[in-house]
Amino acid sequence: MGDEPLPPDAGEDSKSENGENAPIYCICRKPDINCFMIGCDNCNEWFHGDCIRITEKMAKAIREWYCRECREKDPKLEIRYRHKKSRERDGNERDGSEPRDEGGGRKRPVPDPDLQRRAGSGTGVGAMLARGSASPHKSSPQPLVATPSQHHQQQQQIKRSARMCGECEACRRTEDCGHCDFCRDMKKFGGPNKIRQKCRLRQCQLRARESYKYFPSSLSPVTPSESLPRPRRPPPTQQPPQPSQKLGRIREDEGAVASSAVKEPPEATATPEPLSDEDLPLDPDLYQDFCAGAFDDHGLPWMSDTEESPFLDPALRKRAVKVKHVKRREKKSEKKKEERYKRHRQKQKHKDKWKHPERADVKDPASLPQCLGPGCVRAAQPGSKYCSDDCGMKLAANRIYEILPQRIQQWQQSPCIAEEHGKKLLERIRREQQSARTRLQEMERRFHELEAIILRAKQQAVREDEESNENDSDDTDLQIFCVSCGHPINPRVALRHMERCYAKYESQTSFGSMYPTRIEGATRLFCDVYNPQSKTYCKRLQVLCPEHSRDPKVPADEVCGCPLVRDVFELTGDFCRLPKRQCNRHYCWEKLRRAEVDLERVRVWYKLDELFEQERNVRTAMTNRAGLLALMLHQTIQHDPLTTDLRSSADR
Amino acid sequence: AGRERKGPETNIAAQSTHPSSANHSKEAPEKPNYALKLTLVGHTAAVSSVKFSPNGKWLASSSADKLIIIWGAYDGKYEKTLYGHNLEISDVAWSSDSSLLVSASDDKTLKIWDVRYGKRLKTLRGHRNYVFCCNFNPSSNLIISGSFDESVKIWEVKTGKCLKTLSAHSDPISAVQFNCNGSLIVSGSYDGLCRIWDAASGQCLKTLIDDDNPPVSFVKFSPNGKYILTATLNNTLKLWDYSRGRCLKTYTGHKNEKYCIFSSFSVTGGKWIVSGSEDNLVYIWNLQTKEIVQKLQGHTDVVISAACHPTENIIASAALENDKTIKLWMSNY
Repeated sequence: MGDEPLPPDAGEDSKSENGENAPIYCICRKPDINCFMIGCDNCNEWFHGDCIRITEKMAKAIREWYCRECREKDPKLEIRYRHKKSRERDGNERDGSEPRDEGGGRKRPVPDPDLQRRAGSGTGVGAMLARGSASPHKSSPQPLVATPSQHHQQQQQIKRSARMCGECEACRRTEDCGHCDFCRDMKKFGGPNKIRQKCRLRQCQLRARESYKYFPSSLSPVTPSESLPRPRRPPPTQQPPQPSQKLGRIREDEGAVASSAVKEPPEATATPEPLSDEDLPLDPDLYQDFCAGAFDDHGLPWMSDTEESPFLDPALRKRAVKVKHVKRREKKSEKKKEERYKRHRQKQKHKDKWKHPERADVKDPASLPQCLGPGCVRAAQPGSKYCSDDCGMKLAANRIYEILPQRIQQWQQSPCIAEEHGKKLLERIRREQQSARTRLQEMERRFHELEAIILRAKQQAVREDEESNENDSDDTDLQIFCVSCGHPINPRVALRHMERCYAKYESQTSFGSMYPTRIEGATRLFCDVYNPQSKTYCKRLQVLCPEHSRDPKVPADEVCGCPLVRDVFELTGDFCRLPKRQCNRHYCWEKLRRAEVDLERVRVWYKLDELFEQERNVRTAMTNRAGLLALMLHQTIQHDPLTTDLRSSADR
Repeated sequence: AGRERKGPETNIAAQSTHPSSANHSKEAPEKPNYALKLTLVGHTAAVSSVKFSPNGKWLASSSADKLIIIWGAYDGKYEKTLYGHNLEISDVAWSSDSSLLVSASDDKTLKIWDVRYGKRLKTLRGHRNYVFCCNFNPSSNLIISGSFDESVKIWEVKTGKCLKTLSAHSDPISAVQFNCNGSLIVSGSYDGLCRIWDAASGQCLKTLIDDDNPPVSFVKFSPNGKYILTATLNNTLKLWDYSRGRCLKTYTGHKNEKYCIFSSFSVTGGKWIVSGSEDNLVYIWNLQTKEIVQKLQGHTDVVISAACHPTENIIASAALENDKTIKLWMSNY
């Protein structure tokens, strides 16, 4: 009624006191009538949609609307919304049908059980009368105006309709249980008549909407404070604005458990391990939001499935509308993709959740499924196949005893090609590990040798009068440019300078990894100095690291000690006797030689590491291939016992 | 030892009297003698696709139970399971070095897997609806995927980024493939068109269209890259010379009106066309004469996928929910 933007000539504001000709409206007291307006059904004042924040689309869903003032003055006035299907239908037949739905219905007395049974389609009579077209099948209003004789006739026939098969346990029930949430909402059981659905136990097991069917926790004993059962949205006062939180939660990837999801009834046995995506219980709040969000058209065709929101009373739905509003704004800031992906997953979850139907009646123990434990005659827990963990374990054990032996036999009937490859690989890896270890030992030996040489060299005495000094005197006019800094340098001191220069630049950069070195049996390899800024351990060779080790001061009488060679490779057995400070040829030879050995050792360790890794992989593959799980879950049936290997050439 | 037995009912038997005859006759035999050798049980929902690895050692199968299972190709033994998708998987494809797999799923993503370690390497996001088909290019640095959102996307393997999107068709895309040197792409769709694209530029080079346009359920290049095999939902398979746009051969006799059934060229022995069918059989036609040479019976539901081993005369076939098994058939030629 209130959503037609007709020029409100009739609803002229009688309160306007300025003498202008143009009538003024709304809380803003402006005469603008070119935008969308909505009229209060009580005071007949017109309000701009923008001023009271109701869009045309929202208004389409509203059947009766009262302005804030009227609602505050008279608490009985509530905004009434249309059911989606009724919206469409009302859109088509705006003229004729309304009086039949509303006028007659409201004046009707408390529904009598006969009528209820006849009307049957999953809505309480009250609900159906007040918004008759709310029921999914349109023929339901007809019986109301039927003559008594028709009524009697239908009582004898099997009542069948779109929401009643007429033959199941629920359809045959004649009385409401009085304890479920739907019953407690009925006027005859003292409820506010907001939900208006058939008794839970009378929801057809075949045809009723999944969400209307038997719901174990909905049969909790009535307490006055709790008009709505646990799984649904908590009473309005507790509704904190949570839309963004909930959205965030859904956005988490698989494996994340929503801790607040405990609100959901313990349909699945409470498992402590992280739930996979399908198992995440659908938060009822989110479900409501989701339903509310269904009023939007994001253009997603599958939304229409989930629009039924039977439990939303207008107050809640109003909030839901607001939430939708907020969500709309948020949507602009999210990526559209993200939202749709999330909604698709949400919808999948929703679908998956409701696919675990709670068909059994808790009141009737005979109809509960039996525990599947071997020899157990107790009833299974709701939502589980067993009465207790024990039974489950026993059945699993029996299953394994029965099936596993023949699977093992099947597996062993024919050689597994991959297994043989694996074994060969392991052989090869083993051999390579051997050779790597031998190399390592070799390296160690060289290491010790080197140390011995260095030590011996130190013990030599200095001899000043070496001829090597004079050999370089002819080269002084040549100029070499340093590799690092680029300055020209005397070739005599070139080596020394370049070493120092390089160290200077290198010490300014860090080179490390997060983990300290832990190798057994390795004496000195990596520098491993901790850098607190980058939280790394220096991974340069310790003997070489320019950042963390300074060259020790050379005392004046220390000898160079470098083993002299003839023709590059042949050791003469002699040592350079020059003082270390003066020797230009063999500048820091110990450092370089040590580094050489260390590098080789590091390489061998890396190789060993790699081989370990490979071995581990092959072993894991071998275990998993014919492990318990693999054997139980999979099977290879050989139809031709003679042909177990399909390769045509000789088996390799 | 089983290999040495002679097939009794074939025309080889006629030659077995010759003292020096080999098992294989000199002329190409008329019919293959595929026989059921192994049944692989393990999926808990309909199997959607089976593919042999290019090196012939493995068989990968994808299924509606969101898993990919790797089996040994020669002994049919279970090897490994790859977990990770959220929804049903529609297709799986191998890279040329048999070390990577790409899978296309209803959760709108593709995932790249390292087969050796069973690890997920990358997830390719970008499609806006179910991803239906996927393939590597011969150099395996690109992945091509077709989706229900009517587009074909080309992805880079190393980074996982979408390089190109071809708005290829006006209906869901049922099959995409690179040709043998990676220069061309063929795509088939429910709108009845089969299009050939230049891989480098993304230009559509040719559209193959038939008299009426039944939805194309599968397309594939021939191994030499000169022909295209298309399957349409009117129980027909056609072999096209795409450079001239002419249909050369038509293969019928099977039933294919509903599902996108994979078919394949068998070139290891005789030259056959192999396809699944909705009457639970695997059909084998002679490529040249177009007649049905063998029908393999054994499945109890629609045979959705049939693959041929790259070097041996082995066919793998997979069926839908009622059956959930993969069967391996072997022939002597």
